Amino acid sequence: MASITIEIDGNIVNAKAGERLITITDREGISVPRFCYHKKLSVSTSCRMCLVDIEGVTKPQTACSTPVSDGMKIHTQNEKAKASQKAVMEFLLINHPLDCPICDQGGECELQDVAVEYGSDVSRFSEGKRVVAPSDIGPLIQTDMTRCIHCTRCVRFGSEIAGIMEMGGTGRGEDLKIEPFLAEGITSELSGNMIDVCPVGALTSKPFRYELRSWQMASADSVARHDLVGSNLYAQTYKGLVKRVVSGDNELVNETWISDRDRFSYEGLAHENRLLLPQIKVEGQWKEVEWNVALDFAIKGLNKNALNSRKAHKLGGLASSTATTEEFYLMQKMLREIGCENIDYRLNVNNLDDPIHLDSNIKLSDLECVDNVLVIGANLRLEQPMINLRLRKAQLAGASVSALNVKAFDYNHKTNHSTVSPNEIATILAGALKVILEKNSLEAPSYITNINPSELSINLADKLLDSERSVIVLGEHVINNTQAASIAQMVAEIAKQVNGKTLNLTSSANTLGAQYAHFLPKSKGMNTNEMLAADMSAFLLLDIYPEYDFHHSNSAVEALSKDDVFVVSLNSFNNELVAQYSDVLLPMAAMYETSGSHVNINHDMQSFAAAVKAPEEAKPAWKILKVIADLLELPGFHYENVTQVSEELKHQKIYEHKQDITIDLGKKSSAIETIWMHSAYHSDALLRHAKSLSSSKIGQTNSASMNTATAKELSLECGNTYLGVPVVVSDTVADRCVFVSSNQSTDMGRES
Amino acid sequence: MIISDSAKKQIDIWIEKYPQGKQSSAVMEALKLVQAENDNQLTSEAIQAVADYLDMPGIAAAEVATFYENYNHKPVGKHIIRFCHNISCMLNGADDLITHLETKLGVKTGEVTKDGLISVKKVECLGACVGAPMFQIDDQYYEHLTADKIDDIVDGLK
Ligand code: SF4
Ligand code: FES
Repeated sequence: MASITIEIDGNIVNAKAGERLITITDREGISVPRFCYHKKLSVSTSCRMCLVDIEGVTKPQTACSTPVSDGMKIHTQNEKAKASQKAVMEFLLINHPLDCPICDQGGECELQDVAVEYGSDVSRFSEGKRVVAPSDIGPLIQTDMTRCIHCTRCVRFGSEIAGIMEMGGTGRGEDLKIEPFLAEGITSELSGNMIDVCPVGALTSKPFRYELRSWQMASADSVARHDLVGSNLYAQTYKGLVKRVVSGDNELVNETWISDRDRFSYEGLAHENRLLLPQIKVEGQWKEVEWNVALDFAIKGLNKNALNSRKAHKLGGLASSTATTEEFYLMQKMLREIGCENIDYRLNVNNLDDPIHLDSNIKLSDLECVDNVLVIGANLRLEQPMINLRLRKAQLAGASVSALNVKAFDYNHKTNHSTVSPNEIATILAGALKVILEKNSLEAPSYITNINPSELSINLADKLLDSERSVIVLGEHVINNTQAASIAQMVAEIAKQVNGKTLNLTSSANTLGAQYAHFLPKSKGMNTNEMLAADMSAFLLLDIYPEYDFHHSNSAVEALSKDDVFVVSLNSFNNELVAQYSDVLLPMAAMYETSGSHVNINHDMQSFAAAVKAPEEAKPAWKILKVIADLLELPGFHYENVTQVSEELKHQKIYEHKQDITIDLGKKSSAIETIWMHSAYHSDALLRHAKSLSSSKIGQTNSASMNTATAKELSLECGNTYLGVPVVVSDTVADRCVFVSSNQSTDMGRES
Repeated sequence: MIISDSAKKQIDIWIEKYPQGKQSSAVMEALKLVQAENDNQLTSEAIQAVADYLDMPGIAAAEVATFYENYNHKPVGKHIIRFCHNISCMLNGADDLITHLETKLGVKTGEVTKDGLISVKKVECLGACVGAPMFQIDDQYYEHLTADKIDDIVDGLK
């Protein structure tokens, strides 16, 4: 676009021809009032609040929709502009209830702010105001539609960003109402952003209703740790409690949106199951004790069971993938210092002998520029909402998206779904790889010489060959595929051949942090599954809940519950099972209560400070670990704050077990394949304790889907349960497969 | 079945008229066809069925269905009187005439007479300002209305 100069309020300003006036005034810091305009949404020009005067144009023009041209002279503050803005303000306030004293938006309301500047203190409107009955749209968003000014930001957010149009404007004129259809409630995984975009108090946070005024709270920058994105957000706090979470801006990470998961998980912090006091188990009875007593007890137990008798190899250290990078680092440093190599965060993987290796070599912001996407084994919308949002943009811009999934999931963009059984994936990829190698005139490795590429393989290969910027996304459903490692290897190979990128979503939360912290067994160490099978004498556990976290949940509980095994548990929540096998319970700080860092899929280490202090006696885990190390008299733990830990680990290279794997396409199971996933709002401890999320539609998901034939083979029908989960018969599931999405514990479920 | 096969066939003709992928442009005709075969009324289910058929969000079809006066969301009479109450008609006494009509029929706007013969609706401008005040009965306009004229017209409805 050509550079031009325009004049705004007498000042010469540089601009590009065709730019919208409001982008220029925003850039120059000139304030133009607006309601419907939002920088990330299409321009609807429906509120008329942004009227400005342009010389030579008789009527005032809307700044949000007017493209500029060279020499344009604009007045944003002259009498004509002011008068128009005032007139619009008066019009917008005609039907507004002006109930600011009882409105949650008060103090952070765009309408209130603009009204203070442009409104009149006396209304000339003496007729009756309209009232709109509120509709219940679910547990996350409170509606007070009488306050709505019909800016349609929420409607546009739904159709343009969230990809499901749920709100709409029904009726017209005086009867226009913004509402969802069929009173079904809002189901989007990004719905909370409507609260942020609504310029008035029509859509507010339901869990936060009537809690506080925005100016009463302090706001702390933070980073979400529920997925690999690490969305930037603000935790708003009052008297030591997180009261609300709102989105932060970071173009490279989350733009300006956050998922509902990140927005509402804070509710879990105040759950009654929080572990608040250190406890020790004496003769089978739990006793609440002082920290020093508990730590003493822990050290004695560790010494007796593992250290004094030189049995460090019988000690195991396991941590949840939601830990901070510093927690991972200190824990492995301590364990290695005492000679223990049994360190792992990979709890839910069935086969750790052939782990998945795949780089994520594409930046989040580049995802929207790809022209071809192949998704393997992921329900992206729910599992990785922020990544899906970027891919959806790519699709809307013309990218072709194909998915190989066990079920035709409800994607919110156009996708060519191929429903395939997990044990077909490797062969399909091998076929595609063969086609690609042939096109590139390269010799095919022996494992694919006998493969006869199917139509699907050829089709996928052609798409990949035709594209210039492809990305292959490997999702979480592949983790426990019997051919997981081969699949990952072929994905890498295919991407290399077509000059494409790969995105590895098989692990989540802060698992990259764990890899940077080297929280994995090296040389002689045991991995999770080996530890559970071995004759261990002690465990150090960081925020672990076996009934949800382990693939082998039963054997995990069994291994931890053995009489002669001493278990030290650092936990943020307490529950029966944890209490059953632990010998010491050390209350640890949860998200927002601890400082540290998260490594996201861009490999950016994003630091955050604690927004609040942990409740009662709970302490940040890094401090607990440091003190344990001190009590064990280990060298090198003289940290005064967490930043020193971050500094120390910053230079570490990522650690992975790289091992050559032999691709074996014959390794298939003939049993019915089950993919077990926690529903999107039950994937970590904090989420599972967040009440509003749990009661939302997504949080309520609890189903084992299978097609009619599979149900028949298993002699099941709707109303029965499969592995404890209600059966749903749906012919969108691949033959002889069950897809479980559950909000309950894995129980005996995943033992297969 | 809310959309009959014959309605689907007719909707398809409309879909054909628009570029590929723009099938939702046929929404107005589709709603009209579906309304016609469902007692001249569109329930939420019917709107959803149209939306599904045209592969568009339910709420988007509902926006259209609630915007235009020619879609009915409640049971209606055999004849519908659409009384304009916009500026030209209002200045020419539409409000009083609407009250007159309501009293005569014993119903309020938006309601149906007990015998199910007539329903009355207040509508926005029908583009006949030159003949204000006016109303439309079914497909017919009646202009320059007076109380007497209304009585005559209404008495003639069967
Ligand atoms: S609810 Fe809020 S965002 Fe939606 S149209 Fe009304 S004022 Fe705008
Ligand atoms: S901001 Fe320009 S019309 Fe609403």
